[in-house]
Amino acid sequence: MKEELVAFRGVKEGIYIFIRQGDFEQIKGELIKKLEEYTDFFQGANILGIRGEDLSEDEINELYNIVQDKYKLHISEDGLPEYLEEPKFYTGIHEGMTKFIHGTIRSGQVVEYDGNIVIIGDVNPGGLVKAKGNIIILGSLKGVAHAGADGNQEAIVAAYDLQPTQLRIGNIIGRRPDEDIVASTFPEVARIYNGEVLIEPYLPRK
Amino acid sequence: MGKAIVITSGKGGVGKTTTTANIGTGLAMLGYKTVVVDTDIGLRNLDVVMGLENRIVYDIVDVVEKTCRLKQGLIRDKRHEGLYLLAAAQTKDKTAVKPEQMVELIDELKKEFEYIIIDSPAGIEQGFQNSIAGADEAYIVTTPEISAVRDADRVIGLLEAKGLSNPKLIINRIRQDMVKKGDMMNVDDIIDILAIELLGVIPDDEAIVISTNKGEPVVTEENPLSAKAFRNICRRITGEKVEWLNLENGESKFSKLIKLLFSK
Repeated sequence: MKEELVAFRGVKEGIYIFIRQGDFEQIKGELIKKLEEYTDFFQGANILGIRGEDLSEDEINELYNIVQDKYKLHISEDGLPEYLEEPKFYTGIHEGMTKFIHGTIRSGQVVEYDGNIVIIGDVNPGGLVKAKGNIIILGSLKGVAHAGADGNQEAIVAAYDLQPTQLRIGNIIGRRPDEDIVASTFPEVARIYNGEVLIEPYLPRK
Repeated sequence: MGKAIVITSGKGGVGKTTTTANIGTGLAMLGYKTVVVDTDIGLRNLDVVMGLENRIVYDIVDVVEKTCRLKQGLIRDKRHEGLYLLAAAQTKDKTAVKPEQMVELIDELKKEFEYIIIDSPAGIEQGFQNSIAGADEAYIVTTPEISAVRDADRVIGLLEAKGLSNPKLIINRIRQDMVKKGDMMNVDDIIDILAIELLGVIPDDEAIVISTNKGEPVVTEENPLSAKAFRNICRRITGEKVEWLNLENGESKFSKLIKLLFSK
């Protein structure tokens, strides 16, 4: 049997509407058909929201309008539980595609990659390294590094000698203090902590 | 409506960026709302000289390409109220901006600021053409070397052809001891060749090297002679009549005369 485009799925918080990839007109038709069929059943249910495999925001909104306006169904304000939301950013920071670069990134040079980046060399002031995942530099980082470039706030930047002009993780930007700072003599890692870029040694016992 | 001034020279290394940073800062210290614009795309320096490199998120290319709003591209100076920097892009090249876009950008800035100081790249190619596109006035920086003066002369000709007539002259890195011995061109020699109005003379000064490396324009310091020279230039820009500085001890000829009268 052909898989249905529209399915109602139950989780412990309530039910949600799951939409498979397909023709949008067909999806709409099927949704309306189902809602007609089981109107009574849905009246009392806690509907959490709609999750689509391949729907644009406009399309999702149109479906919400059908459910809410045409069938007067109440959609829970809590929204979909977090574990159902599909992450919209690169998630391979524990295991994922990685680019290795041998050499120095100099002023004006840019390295960009849709995964993790490992640099066996230095990043000079004015150089930019931008990765959707983590950035590891086996040398000194004096330029700008942007990890989790498409929004992953769990991404990290680590370097043997971490003295960046600017550090960006996800959408958070940290900059080098204006005062002279004592360069640390050990490797460090930068990550987001309470909405700020925090730098700490990654070998705490040393 | 503000006034846009381009700082240019033809030759590299004569002190355009240092002059831009000091004039911009000096005007802000006088209370004028000022923005300094770096048009040296691909070889930006103005941010480093002003100590603002760590604040750059958006640059001039982002602004003209409308990736960000103009307000987001303006970096507020860390010391002076009313002083802003629009940084150049480091990862692009001069062709990333067109002269028409510069005109539009500078016009926009003129609505917000009283002075727009534009740092030009060396050379006479597209970067230079971009830098002068939106300017109302041009200041030429030269040093007392025949090569720098020759390039300045060439640039004055190009500026006139573009309708920027009556540029003003800033002579940088004069060494009074060498001039006296006849080993260096003096101010009059240079003006003889270039025949344009002199705006100021900056002495060769160690304090400039120190301040550049610290990322703090020298003009903010009290004592260095070069700082006084830059402050005088700023006051002349605003229309004030300022006496020429005595480059040997920093006193004006007038105050020297007074001292002479009273020391008897």
